[in-house]
Amino acid sequence: MSTIEVKKITKKFGEFVAVRDADLSVKAGEVVCLLGPSGCGKTTTLRMIAGLERASEGDIVIAGKRMNELPPEKRDIAMVFQFYALYPALNVGENIAMPLHFEKLSTEERNKRINSVAKILHLTEVLDRMPGQVSEGEKQRIAVARAIVRDPNCFLFDEPLSRLDVELRHSMRGQIKEVLSNLSKATVIVTHDQLEALTMADRIAIMKDGMIEQVGTPHEVFAKPANVFVASFIGTPQMNLVEADLKSFGKGVASIILGGSAVEMAADPAVSKLRPSKVMIGIRPRAFTVQDKASKDTIHAQSELIEPMGAETLVHARTKTGADIRVVVPREKRVKIGEILHLKPDAKQTHFFGEDGMAVRT
Amino acid sequence: MATSMTIWEKLGFRKASRVGEAGWGHTLWAALVSFIYFLPVLIIVITSFKVQNEALSVPAKFFPTSFFGLIPEQYVFTPTLENFTSVFSRAFTTGGAVENTGFDRYFFNSMFIAGTSVLLALVIGTLAAYGFSRYPLKGNDTYLFIILTTRMLPAIVVIIPIILMFRIVGLSGSYPGIIFLYTAFNLPFTIWMMKSFFDELSLDVEDAARIDGSSELRVFFKVCLPQVVAGLAATFVFGLILTWNEFLFALLLTGSDTRTVPVAMNQAVAGGGIGVLWGLLAAIETLFLIPVFLVTFFLQNHLLRGVTFGTVKR
Amino acid sequence: MTTTAIQTPPTAFTTLALDNWKLAIAGGLGVSISACLAMPATSSFWVVAVMMALVAVTFVVNAFRRHYYGGLLVSPAIAVLFVMNIFPLLWSLGLSFFSYQSNQQAIRFVGLANYSKLLTDDLKAPELWANLTNTAMFTVLTVSVQMVIGFLLAVLFAKQFPLRRYLLILVLTPMMLSVVAVGVFFSYYYDPTFGVISQIIKAWTGEQFILFSSKAGAVAGIVFADAWMWSPFVMLLVLAGLVSVPTYLYEAAAIDRVGSWRRFWTITFPYIRGLLMLALLFRTIEAFKMADLIILLTKGGNDTMTISYHVIRIANEQNKTSEGAALSYLLLFVVIVLTNLYLYIANRRSQGN
Ligand SMILES: Nc1ncnc2c1ncn2[C@@H]1O[C@H](COP(=O)(O)OP(=O)(O)O)[C@@H](O)[C@H]1O
Ligand SMILES: [Mg+2]
Repeated sequence: MSTIEVKKITKKFGEFVAVRDADLSVKAGEVVCLLGPSGCGKTTTLRMIAGLERASEGDIVIAGKRMNELPPEKRDIAMVFQFYALYPALNVGENIAMPLHFEKLSTEERNKRINSVAKILHLTEVLDRMPGQVSEGEKQRIAVARAIVRDPNCFLFDEPLSRLDVELRHSMRGQIKEVLSNLSKATVIVTHDQLEALTMADRIAIMKDGMIEQVGTPHEVFAKPANVFVASFIGTPQMNLVEADLKSFGKGVASIILGGSAVEMAADPAVSKLRPSKVMIGIRPRAFTVQDKASKDTIHAQSELIEPMGAETLVHARTKTGADIRVVVPREKRVKIGEILHLKPDAKQTHFFGEDGMAVRT
Repeated sequence: MATSMTIWEKLGFRKASRVGEAGWGHTLWAALVSFIYFLPVLIIVITSFKVQNEALSVPAKFFPTSFFGLIPEQYVFTPTLENFTSVFSRAFTTGGAVENTGFDRYFFNSMFIAGTSVLLALVIGTLAAYGFSRYPLKGNDTYLFIILTTRMLPAIVVIIPIILMFRIVGLSGSYPGIIFLYTAFNLPFTIWMMKSFFDELSLDVEDAARIDGSSELRVFFKVCLPQVVAGLAATFVFGLILTWNEFLFALLLTGSDTRTVPVAMNQAVAGGGIGVLWGLLAAIETLFLIPVFLVTFFLQNHLLRGVTFGTVKR
Repeated sequence: MTTTAIQTPPTAFTTLALDNWKLAIAGGLGVSISACLAMPATSSFWVVAVMMALVAVTFVVNAFRRHYYGGLLVSPAIAVLFVMNIFPLLWSLGLSFFSYQSNQQAIRFVGLANYSKLLTDDLKAPELWANLTNTAMFTVLTVSVQMVIGFLLAVLFAKQFPLRRYLLILVLTPMMLSVVAVGVFFSYYYDPTFGVISQIIKAWTGEQFILFSSKAGAVAGIVFADAWMWSPFVMLLVLAGLVSVPTYLYEAAAIDRVGSWRRFWTITFPYIRGLLMLALLFRTIEAFKMADLIILLTKGGNDTMTISYHVIRIANEQNKTSEGAALSYLLLFVVIVLTNLYLYIANRRSQGN
């Protein structure tokens, strides 16, 4: 069974803790993306799984076996490095063949395997070239080919697409996803690009400062962010996070003061556990509807900046208390600068965060 | 938890935590090999603390103390500093008066001659290397090749005319003569090494500085030079090691006033066999080794980087 | 280059200006020649030197006014190399066509006689040949030992480990010793009675050990000392290559489960190939010139005479200056042929890849 289980691993570089108590499990055939801003410890986590870095604490279990002490050679994993790490003195074919030597295949068998991955990744033409003579996109595919040419316990990708231009990135995302879906191995992909994570992953683990903040399906992390960080990190444009006063809560309706407007909105029953106090309200820019008139479930803000985004328009508005609110409105809706907007948040898409930054949800 | 470190692991006897790193276990191996390799030098250093008959004793005495009776008496000698003092002044005949040996002079000569000529070569060579790198002449490669091949010549090919030349113009046995010669001796290597360094630098930075209105001199001193410090250091160390110990030219071209330590040392051993004052000689070499040893030690990191930079073409 | 050469018109020949190098050459030549004719050598030399300096100054000023920075930068180096290398070389080439002994005044043009004597004389030709074979033997032996030891040492020091810095400097020390000390102290270690090595072997076999009693022993002793002294140099070059291999390649190799043999040949070796060749070239040239260690250890006894030592003997000890010069040129010829052969092979290798 091709699975990865990471149990409470910690990595210290001297005093500095790069990864703290990270837990993660990846099932066979599942693709998990490690997503987070750069420097948060994603690569370090991946390298610990691969055995390139020793975990200071915790256990790494691959295919049901605890592998803490084993060097990378004994872990039977395939990894695609961020900068591809192609062997500069070998041509493309030989590069792809490197992992196969261990298996002592016949030349025929080996060539067959190389040719078949080369075909999948459109590399047949460049097999005889040196790594210095191929394009960036081809380099990336060679690195992937070298990983999938064998039958490892699991796959690890470190920012596989970060060096490609937007168009290539888009097409490679699809290709990699397709290739992986045929292999049914546990796969971890490290990325700092949420679009990449959202499109390729079965589940996403979001990291910040060495800690895993939330693990969930793309839908879960988007719709039910566990805390303020995840809420702000996932989704473009960024979710509005506004401080508010929770006045009271009763019968599923919360009364809050948000940006100077008293608003009543339906809320999760768990909100009742919050003491009347400061809370953080998270509302995605697309979860507002612009009303004609003020009512008790609208907040008021004056538009300040208008950014057309094509199909939609992003409006930056400011409340009386000075909070900045981003609102996405349909293109047809003409908003003028300085106009007072009456915004009605969609209660289902409104998130309450307690003072500790954690989402309040049942 | 099963991952707590054992004492062995804490000492470094563990599987490397990263590819390309090793723990104390590897240090042990390297220490053993280094010790064996260093042994001949160590014996020289030990001998410098022995009096003559202990230097010639059979069996050889290696240990300055018996380590509380651990080492049999026959292998233990009584360390003395006598050799170090008599490097500079000693009685030449038994019962004779203590005379100055002139070695303080020879040490000064070695330092002055090697230091000046290596620095001179570094200055002239760096300028030339910058010229070759930034303003290629017609047939640049040919010039460079000729410059390099001059270094390949057996010293003896040029030494006869140089002796004659120096004799005619009265430079033989003078400081300028030997310094000038050593400068030429170090130049080809300096040019070649520094040129590869300048070739590696990105021209964009320099052009940016020029656009900002920096003069050519400023570009060279403020932009280029700081980027090739490793190269300068490595070239300096190599040049120093070679010049410091150079023997043949020094033998033929220095006079009694400008004699360098290797030549003086050679004269001190002229007798050979029992006649050689081994302890004294060892003391001379030990003292002579210290300056280059320290320079090399402190510039060690540059040395490795310098070699790679200068030779690996990317 | 970004600098544009501003075309200042050249100074007219007759103008007395500091950048008029043509006039300086003409004048300098005139003064020099008359000085050479009229004055003794010691003083005329200085006149010539001053004239050369004058010409050099005009060149510099000229280059500076017209922005020939390239020429300006390389000229001091070229001047030094010319005076100390090229000029003596030509001089000794000239000498080799004369019959001249430095302790006598007489000098006579003899054409190629020096060369033909060296190559055909019944006594000298076999001696030359024997010295050449000895040199070749020493070169092959000591260079191959140095390459192997240097390589192994470099591999030992390629990884990062505690105290590496301090152990590395110990291994580098032999290179920093003066060759005189190495020669003298190895003869001390080899000494039949009180030498350390002889004592150890005596304790082993029970018989007195005299290393220099046979040619094989003498050669072994010289090669051992030379290789010990210079293996660190090879190590330094190879080590520089080894540490320049990016770590991520080894990491990728670990992931790909590449065996250590294949890893060495496909990943490491390409990075050190150039440096190995360079070490080989440097050490071969140096070994070919080997003389000082032999002077100090055997004085050429036991048939350990090398060609370089031979030249020194002829030219310096026997004062046969022009014969020495002729021999030097034969030697130079061999070195050039060898170097070109090497470059040819090295180039063909790199084109093959
Ligand atoms: N070998 C190392 N020594 C010290 N600090 C390191 C080392 N490797 C990584 N770090 C630090 O650990 C943190 C996490 O790095 P990394 O895992 O590479 O982040 P990323 O999420 O961008 O991949 C960074 O702050 C980095 O500086
Ligand atoms: Mg990273």
